[in-house]
Amino acid sequence: MIGNDIVDLQFASYQSNWQRKGWLQKIFTTAEQQHIHNSENPNRMVWKLWSMKEATYKVHQSYLSHAPRYNPLDFHCSLNGNVYIHNHIYGVKTETTKEYVHSVAMQYDVNYDSKIMQKGEDLKLRLKQTLAEKVDINISNITIEKDKNRIPRIYIDKKETNIGISLTHHGEYSAFVIEY
Amino acid sequence: MNKEELLSKLKTIISPYVQNQKGLNNLSEDTDFIKDLEINSANLVDVVLDVEDEFDIEIDNDSMEKMLTVKASITVIEEKLAAK
Repeated sequence: MIGNDIVDLQFASYQSNWQRKGWLQKIFTTAEQQHIHNSENPNRMVWKLWSMKEATYKVHQSYLSHAPRYNPLDFHCSLNGNVYIHNHIYGVKTETTKEYVHSVAMQYDVNYDSKIMQKGEDLKLRLKQTLAEKVDINISNITIEKDKNRIPRIYIDKKETNIGISLTHHGEYSAFVIEY
Repeated sequence: MNKEELLSKLKTIISPYVQNQKGLNNLSEDTDFIKDLEINSANLVDVVLDVEDEFDIEIDNDSMEKMLTVKASITVIEEKLAAK
């Protein structure tokens, strides 16, 4: 199981005002708010921690197969890249550029492929191409379908597989991860 | 406040964050904020804060967790109004 989340920083600054009264308190723990306030770049820290929580939410939801919830405050980020949710720990790798923040969350240190793409490119097609090459099958045998909790699952020859994938898009960017 | 008034106020609150206008035109109790209206998950907290301001209620984390659909949001608002 794997999860990922991308934040387009320019789009985020237009879409969200995290300095709004009460905003940070609804999403971040007191410790996380301290990290934000002590950071040299509070804006980037807000979106880094947010993407860590979102990526972890996706892998955790995929693992427990639960209905969608909006509980960012339950996910506790540590600056070494671990995210804690109830009794579970996930490891998160975050890449930050001037343009975007991209986080990949996983249960164990697994091998994965990840690709960040611009808006307009076919994310699902690229994911299928990547997977087809890796497992050496024809791309037409692969389908992606969302389950009842809207978690994307990979089907090969119409049979559900346990290949972990995650898709994300925001503003000008989209990204996927595939776990092997 | 009856359900129609509540629904109408909620519609006004969510409108600025909706990225799929078609979903807003077809708004019903079953409307899902993310799936049907394409509200960005980071904006859901704005919806929660706007609901708090509009109805003068406080929405705790356990209630916020449920506020992903029109129906669940109305239930939360009604509960909090009744507890005032």
